[in-house]
Amino acid sequence: MTGDMAAGSAGPGYAELQVTTHFSFLRGASSCEELFAQAAALGISALGITDRHSLAGIVRAYEASRQTGVRLVVGCRVDLTDGTALLLYPLNRAGYGRLCRLLTVGKARAGKWACELSWGDVADWAEGLLSILVPDQADERCEQQLVLLRRTFPGRSYLALALRRRPGDALRLQLLSDMGATHRVPTVVTNDVLYHVPERRIMQDIVTCIREGCTIDSAGFRKERYADRFLKPPPEMARLFARHPEAVTRTIEVVARCQFSLDELQYQYPAEVVIPGLTAQQSLERLTWEAASRRYSDGVPEKVLGTLQHELRLIDQLGYAPYFLTVHSIVRFARSRGILCQGRGSAANSAVCYVLGITSIDPEKHNLLFERFVSAERREPPDIDVDFEHDRREIVIQWIYETYGRHRAALTAVVTRYRARGAVRDVGKVLGLTEDVTAALAGQIWAWSDEGVEEEHAKQLNLNLQDRRLRLTLELAQQLMGTPRHLSQHPGGFVLTQDRLDELVPIEPAAMEDRQVIEWDKDDIDVLRIMKVDILALGMLGCMRRAFELLEEHKGIRLGLAAIPVEDPATYAMIRRADTLGVFQIESRAQMAMLPRIKPRTFYDLVIQVAIVRPGPIQGDMVHPYLRRREGVEPVDYPTPELKAVLGSTLGVPLFQEQAMRVAIECAGFTPGEADQLRKSMATFKLTGGVSRFATKLVDGMVARGYSRDFAEHTFKQLEGFGSYGFPESHAASFALIAYASSWMKCHHPEVFCAALLNAQPMGFYAPAQIVRDARDHGVEVWPVDVNQSRWDCTLEPAGQGRLAVRLGFRMVRGLANAAGAGIVSAREDVPYGSVEDLWRRAGVPVAALRQLAAADAFAGIGLKRREAAWAIRALRDEALPLFTAAGSEREMEEPEVLLRPMAAGGEVVQDYTMTGLSLRSHPVAFLRQDLRRQGIIPCGDLARMRDGRRVTVSGLVLVRQRPGSANGVLFVTLEDETGTANVIVWKKLFEARRLVVLGASLLCVRGRVQVEGEVIHVIADDLIDHSDLLRSVGNRQGESLR
Amino acid sequence: MRNCGSEPDASPQPAHPLVIADAGSPRLITATDPAAHRLGLRSGMPLARARTLVPTLMVADAEPDADADGLQRLAQWAVRYSPMVSIDPPDGLWIDITGASHLVGGERALLDDLVRRLTGMGVTARAAVAATPGAASAIARFGHRPIVIVDDGLDLLHSLPVAALRLPGETVVALRQLGFETVGDLEQTARAPLAHRFGAALVRRLDELYGRIDEPLVPISVTDVIEVTRGLVEPISTADALQVVISALVEDLCHHLEQRGLGARTLDLLLHRVDGSRQEVHIGTAQPVRSAAHLARLLTERIDSVDPGWGIERADLAATLTEALGAKPIGHLSLAGTGLDPAVDTADLAALVDILGNRIGHDRLYRLAPVESDVPERAVTRVPLLSPPAGRSWPPDWPRPGRLLTPPEPIETMALLPDHPPMAFTWRGVRRLIKRADGPERIHGEWWRRDREVSAARDYYAVEDHDGGRYWLYRSWEDSPETGQMRWFIHGLFG
Repeated sequence: MTGDMAAGSAGPGYAELQVTTHFSFLRGASSCEELFAQAAALGISALGITDRHSLAGIVRAYEASRQTGVRLVVGCRVDLTDGTALLLYPLNRAGYGRLCRLLTVGKARAGKWACELSWGDVADWAEGLLSILVPDQADERCEQQLVLLRRTFPGRSYLALALRRRPGDALRLQLLSDMGATHRVPTVVTNDVLYHVPERRIMQDIVTCIREGCTIDSAGFRKERYADRFLKPPPEMARLFARHPEAVTRTIEVVARCQFSLDELQYQYPAEVVIPGLTAQQSLERLTWEAASRRYSDGVPEKVLGTLQHELRLIDQLGYAPYFLTVHSIVRFARSRGILCQGRGSAANSAVCYVLGITSIDPEKHNLLFERFVSAERREPPDIDVDFEHDRREIVIQWIYETYGRHRAALTAVVTRYRARGAVRDVGKVLGLTEDVTAALAGQIWAWSDEGVEEEHAKQLNLNLQDRRLRLTLELAQQLMGTPRHLSQHPGGFVLTQDRLDELVPIEPAAMEDRQVIEWDKDDIDVLRIMKVDILALGMLGCMRRAFELLEEHKGIRLGLAAIPVEDPATYAMIRRADTLGVFQIESRAQMAMLPRIKPRTFYDLVIQVAIVRPGPIQGDMVHPYLRRREGVEPVDYPTPELKAVLGSTLGVPLFQEQAMRVAIECAGFTPGEADQLRKSMATFKLTGGVSRFATKLVDGMVARGYSRDFAEHTFKQLEGFGSYGFPESHAASFALIAYASSWMKCHHPEVFCAALLNAQPMGFYAPAQIVRDARDHGVEVWPVDVNQSRWDCTLEPAGQGRLAVRLGFRMVRGLANAAGAGIVSAREDVPYGSVEDLWRRAGVPVAALRQLAAADAFAGIGLKRREAAWAIRALRDEALPLFTAAGSEREMEEPEVLLRPMAAGGEVVQDYTMTGLSLRSHPVAFLRQDLRRQGIIPCGDLARMRDGRRVTVSGLVLVRQRPGSANGVLFVTLEDETGTANVIVWKKLFEARRLVVLGASLLCVRGRVQVEGEVIHVIADDLIDHSDLLRSVGNRQGESLR
Repeated sequence: MRNCGSEPDASPQPAHPLVIADAGSPRLITATDPAAHRLGLRSGMPLARARTLVPTLMVADAEPDADADGLQRLAQWAVRYSPMVSIDPPDGLWIDITGASHLVGGERALLDDLVRRLTGMGVTARAAVAATPGAASAIARFGHRPIVIVDDGLDLLHSLPVAALRLPGETVVALRQLGFETVGDLEQTARAPLAHRFGAALVRRLDELYGRIDEPLVPISVTDVIEVTRGLVEPISTADALQVVISALVEDLCHHLEQRGLGARTLDLLLHRVDGSRQEVHIGTAQPVRSAAHLARLLTERIDSVDPGWGIERADLAATLTEALGAKPIGHLSLAGTGLDPAVDTADLAALVDILGNRIGHDRLYRLAPVESDVPERAVTRVPLLSPPAGRSWPPDWPRPGRLLTPPEPIETMALLPDHPPMAFTWRGVRRLIKRADGPERIHGEWWRRDREVSAARDYYAVEDHDGGRYWLYRSWEDSPETGQMRWFIHGLFG
């Protein structure tokens, strides 16, 4: 017997042509990376990737192939409707295009997650494809298949010989081989690989059971029945197929024939946006200069002129003009419909984008670092995401489909992978754990945990880890994490091409009607340098558009995002006070806590503010160094000039993703490509497990360039925090602009901002109650919902002396249908409703809608209190009999008077909250104040006067419970009473001990210590008490105890 | 009266609060145990929320049908207090004790006895005596104490919440929103506007509560065990005489069964001896039966187990478990006697199964059926003789030996690694040279069963020796076919 040394070189050649990756969802059990690495280790020269009806894994395979040097043969397995299984491999680019078309046809026919193809379809697209038949037995059926195969793929057909490790294997192979010879279809050996190493067999059983929706005990013969589905070294394959040596060497022949490589995919930018007679570059230049002269009516400033020329030269050099033209055309369409939008992304913050109106960040006014907007040396595809108003984005998407056609436009996919919770749930189900146990296990994991279920968790649940099934579940769930589960659609990442898109990649229909999705995700597209435009939705843009409209209608001020006065001191003063409830991005607890420390005075401070309160910088421990340096407590020093060039704008602390990469390049000698890999491997380190190799490289690289090892290691730790959590500077700048614009609106037109924000709900961190309360604190009058005044949206009404009040709209009434609200408005015209019955007759809305309005106290304007209105409405019937309508109204007259018990003041407030989510009367806690005071509980408003470290007890409605992924199990709770809010921090231990109280209480009482940090005050909780019973009593309380 | 499930002792761990949840979407809690109640979980709460609050929560599926059955059984039991028992679904009973309470020492004693007995059965109960069914139902549920007797309860009735009126939930909510908290609030309000707004049902419930109109109750019909009895003039002690008595009893019993459309599944024969002791015979059948001959035969079979002592003076025969058995044609003219009619076959077989089963034990009668497992000894299971075919069979193209050795027997062999068949093997001292072989067929352990099987595998070979004998051999290995022990076994013989 020959030793293992012979593998690969001297031994017989063998290439594995039938490999299933985990992109055959819930079938393959190994990743492309694992398979190619194993193939390289075993000396297999090439792998043919044949996922089922899919090319979803092919780009990952291509990457793995480049890394390992094992050749990739692009292929696909197709199961035809008559049960025939074919492996198809493109011989050349044209063949690849046909394979994509074939899969697209099958997917379009079968709908999502399926593919329906017949021999006829295969014949239509067979040219340029090589085919291997995967036979069952050497029977009559196989003979027919061979005949069809040879007719469909003349000279390009093969018959697969694979061991099953079942009775009669040798005989079956011999018969198949004979049959192949008879029909002149050559045989070729495959191994029908499902996993890269034998140990994965168990995982393969698991995914099969998940796919079949059964437990492992009941799976029976639904499990894969043929054994040994792992990669084997060529000498072993030669030994196993010693009777068919020619079929072994033929694998090499097939590889040699299938010359297609993904390198050949030439991406073409769409061309229709070009001005006739001009090239793309010429078109872009003409548009840019025209736009520039429009924007700067007094002539383009020197500085901008230079930047524009520089950028256009770079765009020309890289051939990106069509990309900018495409984005421009989309934005131009949105503008023509009055849809607010703003671009962001690495390429978006350029002067070209500004003059074309893609972004609103004026390069002249904002001194941003633009020179790195597209890097010439990296040649990475330009990246522009465009945010549109949340509720009108669909118009843009449909326009794109219409303009580019469905064969040239599609959404990118998102690979949904197993995370801890889903893995535990699915594996537990397969192993027959009861729903209770899996739900309890899964419930212990917060959504983004990468650690899986730890033993500690199981112990807390009183689960016995000695139980074998439970142990197996935890082990296997850990293994399953990171495995792709299915493809879903990206929220807005569009791929547009000049040539047919379905010859580049298979397209499948999406779950949402009128959407189609390609099989590749964002990373795949990056690898192939295909253009993608993200058409995203942003609620705040909708809010700002509404604000601009209200501003014009009621105050006659015309404004847009780009026209808002810049660097307004009043606005910054407001931001520094953390008075930012409702504005974009900087309204969260964590952001607000940081504002008084960053003390933004300029736009760039805001950019940093947006970027710094992110999991990346927080985990990388960059926040405190930055703050110390900013406050002048710590000196800013740069070990080298390179570092100063990279980190100068952020005081030597890397805060943006680009800076992290630049550090790797400038200070550790990474190539741009390696730096990009570093970024990616950090984002997905769970899958590739490759951060550590970069650690050595980075640290050694920096040490070699004269940095101290300590410093280098610290730098790596900082970079590690980034991954997908860090913000690129350009995104931060775009977000900062919207944050600034919304802050300006709130600062100068609080009533407009309040109405617009209410109409844009749900969005942001705060509920209507807090928005209204905040507006009233800023002197805005807010008026209740009224059947004779309100419209569907919240509106502004003159409140005398040129002031405006916010009138709440029917949209605030919980459960009220839009149609009913609109009906009341349109039937009202200018004649106010006089009574319940008058409204009912004129507006013709269902009685149920009237009940909701009554419960929301919307009849107060016509003199009917809640109960009186409800009583009157109760007497109405939807289907009034015509005969009795007249009589009915008379009977109404005769009805004995019924005196309803008046509602307690507390009850009115409770009802307000129930029906509209807010009350304009009193705060519910106000009714409890005496009781609370008796218990030594202080109002939240008093916290501001407390010294640091004071012990206090506060009680309030729970507004927000936040548990940021970065905060290591700490829970932030915001409480509210009639005097203000309290920001509570609950440490993990207390949270676990008082879980029921924290998550269950609607009125929460907190005992704790005051922590004063500048203007931000926290209460660190020592104990938590549920006061919900007290809150329930509010409904019966009268208000007199109040003041 | 509240029924808290039929298994009160099955939850010994107070650390894990238990709730019962329905099968809806979203699942809602329908009942809680005291521990869960203390934690603030309530009926009507979504289960998902409850689980967030209490991760250790135990959940049982609601079984409304079983609950209804249980209530029905309780009603049957409650007939001990009065023949007029009605059901107040989903969790209440009405007992009309008019003229019946003095039998147990008055109303108070009756209620105490009732609640005590129910508590003993593991049922938490609240009870009230009142002048009308409506009042009793309302006070039992909404009264402040678990046991209430109302004599002149007008104040008490006034103070009841409107929910006590047994109105639809929506109506109750609407009434409370309008400020009607108690029954008294409604009683003081003009009736016409109320009826106009909430329908006649509201006013009717009020009237029923105060006894202004009668509420008709539908009493349950009392069912009992089908039982026949023979008193004997002369004590008997011979098998023949006993056989005659049995025949007569069975005849009577079958007559009763036929009248009710039932068939017997279990029979208890009680033979009372003159010395006051008794002998018992229990039999069971595979299917409901009311053929007198068949039942008589089953009982007669067991006569030899009876010790008549000084003689038997009375015999009782009871069908303790019955199932519905409709009228059946006695035979098909065309197929009768040909053995072709499957129904007839089953019937005949069932009789045979009963005889054999009662003689040697029902658990010793079985049929073999396929199981979907690749491990040969697990590919077979025993099923009851008359269970319907599962529609599965063993794979036809992968032949298995007709006889499996249990357990497989070790053999000595010579074979090449890693997966070649042996050239010869020695089994039970006889050495056989192998002429032909097929294999290996690789069968992995069923890893989900036990740790040992995770890495275990067997390579099976079908071999033929020079004498034409064909055997099924395997080599067991772990982790890798090349390493580990060379342990060979013979597992079966072909043909």
